[in-house]
Amino acid sequence: MNQKTIFARFIRPSLAWAVAILFFFPIFWMVFTSFKTDADAVKPEFLFLFTPTIENYVNMTENYDYWRFAVNSVITSVFATLLTLVVGVPAAYAMAFDPSRHTKDILVWMLSTKMLPAAAVLYPMTFLTKNFLGIFDTHFLIIVVLSLINLPIVIWMLFTYFKEVPKEIIEAGKMDGVSTWGEIKDIVLPLAWGGLASTALLCFIFCWNEAYWTVRLTTTDAATLSKLIEGNRAPEGLFFGRLSAVSTAAVGPIVVLGWFCQKQLVRGLTFGAVK
Amino acid sequence: MTSRTLPRLLQTPAVLLLLVWMLVPLGMTLFFSFIRYVLNSLRRPEWTSPSIDNWRGWGNYEYVLYSAKDFWFAVQNSLFIVGSVIALTVGLGLAIAVLVNRNFMGRGIARVMLISPFFVMPAVNAVLWINMILDPVLGLNGLAVEGINAIVASLQTMPIFGGFFSLWPEIEPVSFRATQTSAMAVIIMVTWQWTPFAVLIFMTSLQSEDQQQKEAAILDGANAWSQFRNLTLPHLARPIAIVVMIQAIFHLSLYAEIEIVSRGNGNKNLPYLIGEFASNNIGAASATGIMAVVLANIVAIFLLRIIGKSLMD
Repeated sequence: MNQKTIFARFIRPSLAWAVAILFFFPIFWMVFTSFKTDADAVKPEFLFLFTPTIENYVNMTENYDYWRFAVNSVITSVFATLLTLVVGVPAAYAMAFDPSRHTKDILVWMLSTKMLPAAAVLYPMTFLTKNFLGIFDTHFLIIVVLSLINLPIVIWMLFTYFKEVPKEIIEAGKMDGVSTWGEIKDIVLPLAWGGLASTALLCFIFCWNEAYWTVRLTTTDAATLSKLIEGNRAPEGLFFGRLSAVSTAAVGPIVVLGWFCQKQLVRGLTFGAVK
Repeated sequence: MTSRTLPRLLQTPAVLLLLVWMLVPLGMTLFFSFIRYVLNSLRRPEWTSPSIDNWRGWGNYEYVLYSAKDFWFAVQNSLFIVGSVIALTVGLGLAIAVLVNRNFMGRGIARVMLISPFFVMPAVNAVLWINMILDPVLGLNGLAVEGINAIVASLQTMPIFGGFFSLWPEIEPVSFRATQTSAMAVIIMVTWQWTPFAVLIFMTSLQSEDQQQKEAAILDGANAWSQFRNLTLPHLARPIAIVVMIQAIFHLSLYAEIEIVSRGNGNKNLPYLIGEFASNNIGAASATGIMAVVLANIVAIFLLRIIGKSLMD
């Protein structure tokens, strides 16, 4: 065996695996520690060998009121995703199938709204929602804000998916006298279904992980998991076990969802510029 | 209804919503940045409500730029964090993407493991790293250093070589809660989260690399490095530019990590500084906000140009 095949067959795979394990380690460690008691979690002698327990998960409600925050996260993320799609799908549809001279400029402008630093409008948002509209710390507010943040990305993703639907099929449909609604329902949606699903999934993930507005525009009623974790940021040396359990519960489902849409992630985050 | 009306109608809600979302708060920030506006003032109660009578002109900007000593530190620190993260993620991302691009056993699983950090919510990322990994006493950082010291101590008791090891100093774990080191902690955790993003994009792009060209280069006797340097790197130029700029925009508004890692220890970036000002001095917070918008726009213009170009093809 020459030098080259040794590298290709053994060294490259081992290196790749080493890197993957290294990157996954913090997540593994979080899950691992979540099965230790708070006392065991900080003792070096129980670093790897310990008696596993699920008490951290059982006591999650008691320790952190986890479910209240989790329910808020689910409500705001689900409805924000729905709202984004309701507004975004027609817009992307019109832009992809009936573009005007301005479509490109409108798309680029939409994206530019995403690039404004959120912190710049922190006080106006607080002022408007607290003193003026009276919707501070409500689900409604968080849903609207989350969908506005994600609307540009969703429109861009859908636009790139719709563009891939062959124009000929639609024209053939038109020749056969299919109505606009029939065109959407019977031709475009079945073809772009996968794209629609992964856009929704990605939008949901971004909503769930959002950590600026969900923290700054809530206090208790609409506080999400981001707020819960952020509120427990103090050095909690004595509570590593329970902290790991609540963290695992907060990110676990999303990481798993993320595995299913890793390919679409590229499109969503580079706005179709890398394929 | 003419054929043009329907498409316009379908776009209207999205365009209107984004227009309001962009113009109203930003317009207010712009207005507040030119007036005296504080939340609490016993001495000048007239300043506590936003009014055109409290016009201050460029006063808030002057105050932020010249008198508030934190502004330049925050700008410098923002750029330091963003620059370091970008350099690390692009460097690591390239290396890892090339490494994982070939087929090997369990590649699918390795890929999933590699990409996972990107989906961890920022708040959990920060809490996890700063407490359980980087903490100098209870975290893995402290335990590892303690372990190394214990090994060295036991080596010192060895009969002959012990003398040699007794020259080794006892090492101290780095505490990541001081101003400068907590910036490092933020860089480490953000790099961990965003390297997978770079890897994913570079890998996607590597799939579309011209394999024939590569084979021709191998036949011509090009070695691995010159293949990478002359073929792969130029091919990745645009993805690299996009990764750099998207990260610049995202990380300039980094917030949760800074808030969790460094509350009160002086390690701040622009969004954090705005948050501090906003607890009382709204005028200064708004002026800082407007400057943050200008900073972000400098990057955004370049990014939008590249993306706009690739839009229609």
